[in-house]
Amino acid sequence: MYISSMPAVLQILLIFLALNQASSPTEQTTFKDIAKRADTARSADHLNEAIALYSEGVRLRPSWPDGWWSLGSLLYEQDQFAEAQVAFARFVKLQPDAGPAYAFLALCEYETRNDDRSLLHFQAWAKHGSPGTDALLDVAGYHWALLLTRQGQFTQALYLLAAKAKKLGATPLLTEAMGLASLRMASLPEEYPSAKRELVWLAGKAAIYSARDDFPRSEEYAARLALLYGSEPDVNYLMGTLLGFQGKFPEAGEQYKKELRISSQHVPAMIELALVQIQLSQPAEAAPWAEQAVTLDPKNARAHFALGKALLDSDHIPESAHELEAAKQLAPESAPVRSALASAYRKLGRMQEAKHESEIFLSLNGKGESLAPPLEETPEPRQPEQPR
Amino acid sequence: MTLHQVSRVLFLAGILLARATLAPESSVASQGEPEGLARKSTNFERLSQAANVARNENHDDEAVRLYQQALKLQPGWQEGIWYLSTLLYQQEKFADSRDLLRRFVATEPQAGPGWALLGMSEYQTREYSRALDHLQRAMSLGMGGRKDLSQSVFYLVAVLLIRVERYDDSMNLLIPMLKSSDHPDLLVEPLGLAALHLPLLPLEIRPDRQEMIRLAGQCALAVESQQQAEAEKLFSGMVGAYPDQPGVHFLYGAFLMDVRPEDGTREMKRELEISPSHLGARLRLAEEYVNEQRLEQALQLAEEAVRLESGSPLAHMILGEVLVAKGDLAKGINELERAQKQTPARVRIHWDLLRAYINAGRTADAKREKDDIEKLGSTEARP
Repeated sequence: MYISSMPAVLQILLIFLALNQASSPTEQTTFKDIAKRADTARSADHLNEAIALYSEGVRLRPSWPDGWWSLGSLLYEQDQFAEAQVAFARFVKLQPDAGPAYAFLALCEYETRNDDRSLLHFQAWAKHGSPGTDALLDVAGYHWALLLTRQGQFTQALYLLAAKAKKLGATPLLTEAMGLASLRMASLPEEYPSAKRELVWLAGKAAIYSARDDFPRSEEYAARLALLYGSEPDVNYLMGTLLGFQGKFPEAGEQYKKELRISSQHVPAMIELALVQIQLSQPAEAAPWAEQAVTLDPKNARAHFALGKALLDSDHIPESAHELEAAKQLAPESAPVRSALASAYRKLGRMQEAKHESEIFLSLNGKGESLAPPLEETPEPRQPEQPR
Repeated sequence: MTLHQVSRVLFLAGILLARATLAPESSVASQGEPEGLARKSTNFERLSQAANVARNENHDDEAVRLYQQALKLQPGWQEGIWYLSTLLYQQEKFADSRDLLRRFVATEPQAGPGWALLGMSEYQTREYSRALDHLQRAMSLGMGGRKDLSQSVFYLVAVLLIRVERYDDSMNLLIPMLKSSDHPDLLVEPLGLAALHLPLLPLEIRPDRQEMIRLAGQCALAVESQQQAEAEKLFSGMVGAYPDQPGVHFLYGAFLMDVRPEDGTREMKRELEISPSHLGARLRLAEEYVNEQRLEQALQLAEEAVRLESGSPLAHMILGEVLVAKGDLAKGINELERAQKQTPARVRIHWDLLRAYINAGRTADAKREKDDIEKLGSTEARP
């Protein structure tokens, strides 16, 4: 199809070049024979022989996508990640639409510590709709979350991990991963200080049971966490978040205040405290916390959102619209920001803009969940009576 | 010497032994090669021999360099890969030894020591999940009678099982190890961690938690060595020192259940106040209530246990026993069969099913259970 749309001269030139580059009949026979033997060896579980044959096959014909795919898969199975990475990279060049290969490539890059490339390929995988078997979805989603945690993108990591926790339960690996993300520790499981293991485990258990709506068990672990590690940074912030999930806003607010006594510059605690106070109809109390968060982290969409909401609820509408517009700029895909902005515009009598924001809010809110983590950090705080 | 240092000495002893004796047969370059290949092969022979000499004379840095050069010429030289990886492990270059060993076991998948050293390297690079898989593989393949290596592998598997919250499986390894270990003190902390259901490696214990964990380990040790009076003294000391810590009352209660069940019951109830989701406390209490014919209370606890951990074979087993005791044979058998599916080797479930099938008049099924019990021939069997 691509060739047929070209000028005739160019087509002839391409065909000529292709004919000149084509392998000789002997080479073709050799290649066919090797490909067949490779497949046979693989089917018979003679993995090393299959690897050798596929390697030879792709050497003879570098444009053989099935060979690269099989080679990558076999090497991956043997934990030979650097070599598998090369094979999958060649494969996706030949077959850029083959979604699952991006996940395997990203997994190899995770193992070889090419974190940035790994993240890029996980994103490419998500763009293709996150295809693959259940096992691949679990493994890739888990590792993607680990990398997001390492990069400090904790909310996105928790989004992925919570989905896995609902499906797989409180497994040891997920518990550790959730512990790290919940405590906002930008580390991989093999990197954080050994002395923090119990802290991470308890935090992970509290978070994972909360994600599974098993609040009594979440509270049990949270109590243990508070007893042993209540003076550690981020622990009270996590406790506040867990209480917020249950709609226990006054208690959540107290925890955020405790966190701020331990870590006075804790921007997420300031933001969440402000949002909790908004929930409790205390916008005047919320505004200074949100303002401080905006000052400390002016590029934080959620901070602008919290300040915008606080101002909106205390009838400082023009100032509110200004903050919410800043939040929209930073997180254009955030449905709650659009909804609040629509309210602000309505109150300002800017009906056309209000209608526009409402329409976008509805379109964003109606989107089904995908495996891709959210691009922003502004989920609507949950109302106490809302079922989870 | 700290426990961690002792365990490192143990690992290295295993490695030295493996280093001395394990390597596969040396591959020799074939005759009649073209000139270039022949030169390459001569170079390879020279380098490989020099590497072996350097290794035997403990010039490790030189040996590493030579093995690396030889492996550039012959990447598939298994003996070289093995020796180089053991040297790198000794030099604490664990990621490098791991990568080489992955190549080694890909070609020698039946080499138990290869999997062992791979798992030990992964343990050091803190890839604990993989380390556990590979060390268990080494256990199942065997380590060619190398006692030190074998002890290291068993120890690591036991502590890694704790870290993945498989406390009972770990205990099943630790207890026989107590009898054969040259370093029983090394096992106190793992025993304590498994007993308290704390998924930490010994090296992950914070100093302020160490005393309680060691105390729990000493309690377990005293129970296993049948020192009842010593155990009771240790347990009551632990409960006095750590009355609010999860797991402490359960441990004491489990000990007391065999000695003074009424006190055991009190401790289990206290544990459930501290740790409302404690599965073990619920199950032991349910068992005791069955013994006392307090079947309604037993049923409530067993049902709660199944709700808490629907995948736990023990919870299904106890629920099955309670239901059978209450005369609800159909439901009881159903629970027992479910438990058996998950743990077919547990003799107690076979006995439970044998009795239940007899009561239900299912003689063929009862016969099958009887045969299975004979086959299993376990000491766990009870009439």
